[in-house]
This record gives sequence, C-alpha cells and structure tokens, in this order.
Amino acid sequence: MDSFGRILLVEDDPKDVELTLTALDEYNLANEVVVATDGEQALDYLYYRGKFMRRAPENPAVLLLDLKLPKVDGLEILQQIKVDEKLKMIPVVVLTSSHEEKDMVASYKLGVNAYVVKPVDFHEFVNAIKQLGIFWAVINEAPPGSARKG
Amino acid sequence: MARSKFQLRNAQSPVLRYGLAVLSVSVALGGALLIERLRLRNITLFLFAIAVAAWYGGTGAAMLALLLSCISFAYFFIEPSHTLYISRSDIPYFILFALFAWLVSWFSSVRQRVEADLLQAREKLEIEVSERSSLLNLTHDTIFVRDMSDSIRFWNRGAEELYGWTPEQAIGKISHELLRTVFPSPLDDIQAEFLRTGRWEGELKHTKADGTQVIVASRWSLRRDEREQPIAVLETNNDITVRKRREQEIQSLNQELAKRSTELEAINKELEAFAYSVSHDLRAPLRHMAGFAELLRNSAAASLNEKSRRYLTVILEAANRMGTLIDDLLAFSRISRAEAHYSTVSLKQIVQDAIAEVRQDANERKIVWKIDSLPEWYGDRSMLRQAMVNLISNAVKFTRARSQAEIEIGCTDHQNDHVVLFVRDNGVGFDMKYSNKLFGVFQRLHPQEAFEGTGIGLATVQRIVQRHGGRVWAEGKVEGGATFYFSLSRTGAH
Repeated sequence: MDSFGRILLVEDDPKDVELTLTALDEYNLANEVVVATDGEQALDYLYYRGKFMRRAPENPAVLLLDLKLPKVDGLEILQQIKVDEKLKMIPVVVLTSSHEEKDMVASYKLGVNAYVVKPVDFHEFVNAIKQLGIFWAVINEAPPGSARKG
Repeated sequence: MARSKFQLRNAQSPVLRYGLAVLSVSVALGGALLIERLRLRNITLFLFAIAVAAWYGGTGAAMLALLLSCISFAYFFIEPSHTLYISRSDIPYFILFALFAWLVSWFSSVRQRVEADLLQAREKLEIEVSERSSLLNLTHDTIFVRDMSDSIRFWNRGAEELYGWTPEQAIGKISHELLRTVFPSPLDDIQAEFLRTGRWEGELKHTKADGTQVIVASRWSLRRDEREQPIAVLETNNDITVRKRREQEIQSLNQELAKRSTELEAINKELEAFAYSVSHDLRAPLRHMAGFAELLRNSAAASLNEKSRRYLTVILEAANRMGTLIDDLLAFSRISRAEAHYSTVSLKQIVQDAIAEVRQDANERKIVWKIDSLPEWYGDRSMLRQAMVNLISNAVKFTRARSQAEIEIGCTDHQNDHVVLFVRDNGVGFDMKYSNKLFGVFQRLHPQEAFEGTGIGLATVQRIVQRHGGRVWAEGKVEGGATFYFSLSRTGAH
C-alpha cells in the first residue's frame, strides 16, 4: 500500500470518521487523510508495520487522535510518540468526546499539541474540524520530515 | 497466746497468786526431797519454783517464794537438817535464790510493760480502723479489704450499694467467689505482679447479688506489717459498665462509619466511571444524530416539503438540547467530584469577571448594575466564579421582559467567619411556595419556551456554596423580582 497522508486520523467509530471526512472535504482535505481504526493500526502506520509496511517514508503533518480506542488507547499512543525521537515532532491533536479534566491534564502532561472536544452540534463540529484541518495541514509549518503539500 | 496469758495474769486474785507461790515451792520441795532421798542435793527445783511464782505471781509472790525456798532449803537440806541453822558456807545458796527471784521479777515487769504498750497500740489501731471505716463508708466508691486468703474483712457502704450484699453478708466470704470475678489475665500472674509491686490496676467483671454483671476499674493496694509481711489487700472498685458500653457503642459506630466510608468511596468511584462513560459514550451517538440529520437536510433540502424540514429541525434541536443537558449534568457532577483549590479571593473581582462573561450574552439590553463593596474571602476561585455566573445570568435572563433591568449584587452580613452575599433583580420573580424546588437538579419554575435552561444552574450554585460551608436561599414574588442569598463560611470549606 503506497498511501500516505498529511493527516493521520485515529478514530474507531466509522460514523465519526464519515462526519470528520465530510467536514474536511469542504476544504478538499479529505483525500489527504489516512484513517487508522484502532491504536494498533495507528502504531503500525507510524512504524511502517503491517499493511503500512511500504508506505511513503514521511511523517504526517498532524495526527488527530481519539482517546477511547480498541487495543491501544489514545493516551498510550501519545506517550509512545512523545518518547520516540523520530516521532516526537509530529503535532498531535486529541479529538475526543469527553470533557473529562483528567484526560485533558494527562494529555497535556504527555505533551499533546492541542485538545479538542467534539461538539454535539453539527455546525460547530464541522467548523472545529475544518479549522483544525486548515490550521495543521495548511497554515502550520510542519516539522522537517513531514509530508508536504505537493 | 500472748493475749490469753495476759488475761490469766490480770484475772488472778491475790489469794490465787500467793497460793501459786506456795504450791510451786511445795512441788519443788517434794521433788527435792525425792532427789535428797536419792542423796542428791539440788537447788534447780527451788529456782524453778521461784521463777514460776515471780513470772505468774508478780513481785510479792516472788518474795514469798524466795522466803519459803530459803526456809525449806535450810530446814531440809542444810546440815544439821530439820533445823533452821545455817553456816556461812551455805549463804551463797540464799544469795542465788534472791538474785534469781529479782531477775525473774524484773523480766516479768518488763514483759508487763511491753504488753501494756501493745494493748494500747492495738486499741489505738482499732479506734483508727473504726474511724477510717466510717470515713470509708462516706465515700461512694466501692472499697473492701480482704486478707491474704481473699477472705473479706471490711466492706464499705459503696460496696453494699454496688454489689447488693450487706457487710454482715459479705465479711468472711472469699471475695472472688462471692463476686464471681472474671480476671483479664490468669489470677496467678496478677497475684505475682501484685505481691511484687504492692499495687495492681485492671478491669474486672463482677456479678452482683441480683445476678447482673458489672465491669469495674479495680485498684488493689497491699498492706504489710512491720516485718514487711503482706497482711491485707485494700480493693477499690469503680463501676465503669456504662462507660464500657458507651466505648463499645462508639467502637461499633466507628466500624460502621469505616464500612460506610468504604462503601461511599466505592460508590463514588462507580459514579466517576459512570460520569466518564456518559461523557464519552452518550455524546457520540448524539453527535451522530445531529450530524447525519444535518447532512440529510443538506442533501435532501430540495426534495423535502416544509413539514419534513420541520421534523428534521426538531430532531436537530432535540439532539442539541440533549447534548447541553448532558454537558450541564456532567459539569454539575464534576463540582462534587473535583478537588477544590482554596485561596484568598477578591469577591469583587469574581463578580466583575462574572458580569463580563454574562454581558456577552446580554447583547443590547439595558441593564443597570449596582455592585456594593465586597470583601476578600477564602474559597475556590473558579467554583465561586461559576456560582456567580449562574446567579447573574439567571438575573439577566429573568429580567428580559423589563425595559430597564436592575441587578444588584451586595453583601448583607460580613463577619469574621462567614459572609452573606446576594444577587437581586427586578425580573419576573417566583412564587415563594415553590422556593424549595429552586435548587433541585432539573427543577424549573418556568416553561422552556419562556425561559430556556436545563435546570442545573441553581443546583450547581447550591453545590458550590455547600462546598464552601454555606447555604443558599431565595426570596421573591411573582412579577416582583427575586433575591438569591448565599453564605460562605471561612472554616467550613471542604
């Protein structure tokens, strides 16, 4: 598989994936997205394992990370990324359903770059995702070694 | 023994005493004659006779015995016999008799004096004991004395009152048998320690005359005689049955409390897990409902009629409202669960911040703000700010119909340990008969169409105020405005 994306979306709920992609599509960012549906897949992608063994050798410009995930949860992924010399520069945005303060505190302690609670209201949701996509994938200068817009 | 000899001596009449002297010498004479017949000359029996007369008969008897001994000895044993003639060489015998008589009489008088002293001392002791007994009877404490074989010798009024036996019933009984004593440790160990130290303290169980059991704090002290021999035990017992029962009650209450607290902790953990799960898992489907309904509206807008579009709108509004409700409920539960961070805060600053936040939503409304001077206080800044925001936004909301809203924030009571603040408005007010419903979760006094809201705001205020050791109450009347008061305690914050 030769896929590479400027946005790695780690999200186990297909409906959330669909809504997120719909939101990003409005700014033509949907085709820049690689989706990992659990924590293990996300790590496979980052470490060129499994079905991502032969993907293009660049880091995503941003990682949108859900916290509640099967197998390996979001905080564990975040921890692994932030202690790995090759991965620690990838900007990570936690994108979660929860307002839980302890999740937020834990995420920031592990070095997350942003923490966003998905709004229930669809307009707000679309807005939030759009702004995230634009900011991290377009406006923000990604660290060296990241996939760049061609 | 000493006592009976003494009595014999006292009771003797002079006739008896002198008769004794005559008799003892006669016996000695008989013996001596017997020995004489066997051709032995012996004065021992005469000396013995004098000694007996002197010891038991006193000085007079001793003199008579001496005289009779001398005459008898001269008459029967000194040559020529059967005369009273004595030669010079026989004089030492008589001197010996005289010396002996004097010696024994002296011993006797000394003994008499010692015995008299002893008697006096004993009488004094008896007086002392009887005086003490009446003193010991005055006290309410239970006191008894037992000898070294545990036989009760003295039993005061307190003992009678506690145990129910009179002194007559108790004295002479073995104390541990009478009281059916239950010892905290083996009796031999207790006795050993007691004899070593002369004191013992401990708790005993006793059974009273009526069969009920008492627990006593018992103190024993050992009485020794002049030769350091233990002679008696003074035992003082205090009834601590009630105290022990209270202690046991307290202990069992404490255990119950510890159990409850463990249960509460478990329940709290469950609640937290529940809240966490609500926060994560209930919001996601709502988001999907809202999201896909919106997508449907976008994609099918052209083909839907007015009615169908309204249905979609209702679905969307319902989903959003449910989201708000869940968020508010979680925020409310978080106030109970969250750790408070107490510091000195400026209540004036908190009110100003809260007004600034609420004003954004008040748009173009004309509101007259009146803010009294407010003190500094000790509390959790963000919680107090939340409470203020809720109260002020309520005031703003319920004055919506007024052409000129007036909102006053002040302080009615400022003491060292507590302060009472209020938020007053000239809005629609409320009926005082529903005032008890104001602070309940999801309780609302106005229809959703008139005033939006989830019914969580005042419940949150109450929870915050409670965490600051205070309480919240309200006054109002329909169309006559409302005043919400809350107190904050300096010491009760938790």
